[in-house]
Amino acid sequence: MAITAGIDVGSGAVKVAIVQADDCIESLRAHYLERIRRRNVMEVVEESLAAALREAGIRRDQLDYIATTGDGDVIPWRTGHFYGMTTHARGALYLNPEARGAVDIGALHTRAMRFDETGRVQQYQMTSQCASGSGQFLENISRYLGISIDEIGPLSLSAKNPEKCSSICAVLAETDVINMVSRGISTPDILRGIHNSMAVRVAGLLRAIKVEGTIMLTGGLAGDAGLSAAIADKMNEGGKAVKLARHELSVQAGAIGAGLWGAFRHRKLSEAGQLGATQEASDGAG
Amino acid sequence: MSQLIEESPAATGALAELITRATKLYEDLEFKTVRDWKSAEPSRRAIGFLPVYAPREVIHAAGALPVGIMGGGDQIEIVRGDSYFQSYICHLPRSVIELAVSGRLDAMEGFIFPSICDVIRNLSGMFKLLLKDRWVHYLDLPQNFDRAMGGKFYRHELATIANGVTALTGIEVTDERLRASIALYNENRRALADLQALRAQRPWLVPATEYYLLQRASYLLPPEQHTAMLRDYMRLSSQSARAPQDNIRVMVRGAFCEQPPLGLLRTLERAGCYLVDDDFVLGARFIPEPLPEQGDPWEALIDGFLYRSLPTASKYDLHADKEAEIVRRAREVRADGVLLIAPSFCDPALLDQPMLARALEAAGIPYTSFKYAEDTGQFQVIREQAGTFADAIKLWGNA
Repeated sequence: MAITAGIDVGSGAVKVAIVQADDCIESLRAHYLERIRRRNVMEVVEESLAAALREAGIRRDQLDYIATTGDGDVIPWRTGHFYGMTTHARGALYLNPEARGAVDIGALHTRAMRFDETGRVQQYQMTSQCASGSGQFLENISRYLGISIDEIGPLSLSAKNPEKCSSICAVLAETDVINMVSRGISTPDILRGIHNSMAVRVAGLLRAIKVEGTIMLTGGLAGDAGLSAAIADKMNEGGKAVKLARHELSVQAGAIGAGLWGAFRHRKLSEAGQLGATQEASDGAG
Repeated sequence: MSQLIEESPAATGALAELITRATKLYEDLEFKTVRDWKSAEPSRRAIGFLPVYAPREVIHAAGALPVGIMGGGDQIEIVRGDSYFQSYICHLPRSVIELAVSGRLDAMEGFIFPSICDVIRNLSGMFKLLLKDRWVHYLDLPQNFDRAMGGKFYRHELATIANGVTALTGIEVTDERLRASIALYNENRRALADLQALRAQRPWLVPATEYYLLQRASYLLPPEQHTAMLRDYMRLSSQSARAPQDNIRVMVRGAFCEQPPLGLLRTLERAGCYLVDDDFVLGARFIPEPLPEQGDPWEALIDGFLYRSLPTASKYDLHADKEAEIVRRAREVRADGVLLIAPSFCDPALLDQPMLARALEAAGIPYTSFKYAEDTGQFQVIREQAGTFADAIKLWGNA
């Protein structure tokens, strides 16, 4: 059974998952999240991996494969790197075996993907460069409104008359918010308006990939109950039954997926008798 | 320290110094290296040549330094170059014009424009109008690969180049001098072949960016200096602590003229692709095997071009089986997949692409394609494409 580390380097946080898996059993031994907060990313990665290994009770040299995802391609001692879409799909499937779609809402972009029962991505869509559908945008708004990020979801859920907000451009949306504040609109109504505008973009991505059934929310904003409710409302507007699901480890989906794919690769290389080369890489890690 | 070095933590000491030197050569759009070479001897001359291939041995035998002009990449702002070309023309000629009108090409007394496409032909005409004090020659490479016809034609072209450069240097291209130049470039060919073999065998020792920088250095340095640089690199890299990663092996085709920015190569590698073969800076190894050093040296060059040069979209050989060749080469270097890339608006590369794609598909070799320009600055889409390509091969393919 392979023991692997999945490291997801995002623009806001580093997530690490220690996974143990073979072709029958998959288990998550440990997970760790550390926000970057303007520190050196490589130092945060080192600290996070060390913390996750401590929690799992294993040594670094016991890792069979170190799989990175996201911006983890900067880590020179990785065994292999997997693209974010591939790892979030696999992580979402691990967290919810019924899921056939996932929406990863991170600090800088949003991605929707449809996958099969093995986690293989069949179709995907992602937002363009604009930040209006991203966590960074929400973080900016929370600063303007003088609230913490954790308060956003509950406040949004308590909205009575959500305001309409631009869903096209973060700059326009931020201008909208400033106008709303000066017009005396309540914070919950502003936040729900923003969530609704983000939901329009997410729903557009999900419709484009024609996903049905259970869709997992992953990434940094998966824990935002207000955003989740807004997306569910938007998706179900046309009478189409879509089940939007979240998991307490949704934010770790990329790291978990990377770890699982790392174990898969370890098995595949082992069966092909090609393990030597990559083993050299993970042994030399750090 | 350059960004490249920071991203190659395994490159330390002498290896890092060597890469820094190659990076400086790559960034030298003022052609200071050429100016320095010339300043050592006032009679020295330098001849610039455009992609893809020019017979450097002839230029060298006439006592001049052949200098490859590969455009401005992503390092210069195009101010005047755009006004010379329509919007549907590739980027390279714009930056070459910019280099010329800004005086950066003043280190060269002459220019050779090999016949690869209409744009280069047009560019040679502009140089004739713009730089009236310089020798400008449009090199008509043979499109008939019969020795009696194309060979005879090419011999005349080679003689024209020899006479043109001799007029600048005062040094006649004798058979003896040409044989000596061929021998020097043969040493360079052997070193380049060894480097290619090393990266095909252990690609983690030769990152794509470093391989590329070394190829580019061959367009500025005298051949013996470049050969020494290659040999030093191979020794130092083989001794380094660089460890392999679980990447797919990828072959690249379509980048023989306008060059991709370094960031693009870095993006491909970070996305999980080892580049085990490519056609960047193709002219440096267009005739990969050493040429005969005895007998008629002109015949050796002619034979090299007609029968030993690599197939590429800009070599118009009606009988070349480019489809079979791409499949053969992909299998030879054990490529898990092929990237068919092309500069935007590059007619030769883009016209060949469907044919090459069809051949790869028939052979069951995965491929993907995308376009770039020499000044492409955003790599997110390419990163996404290369990343999903690598994942698909690693997880569900044969790698």
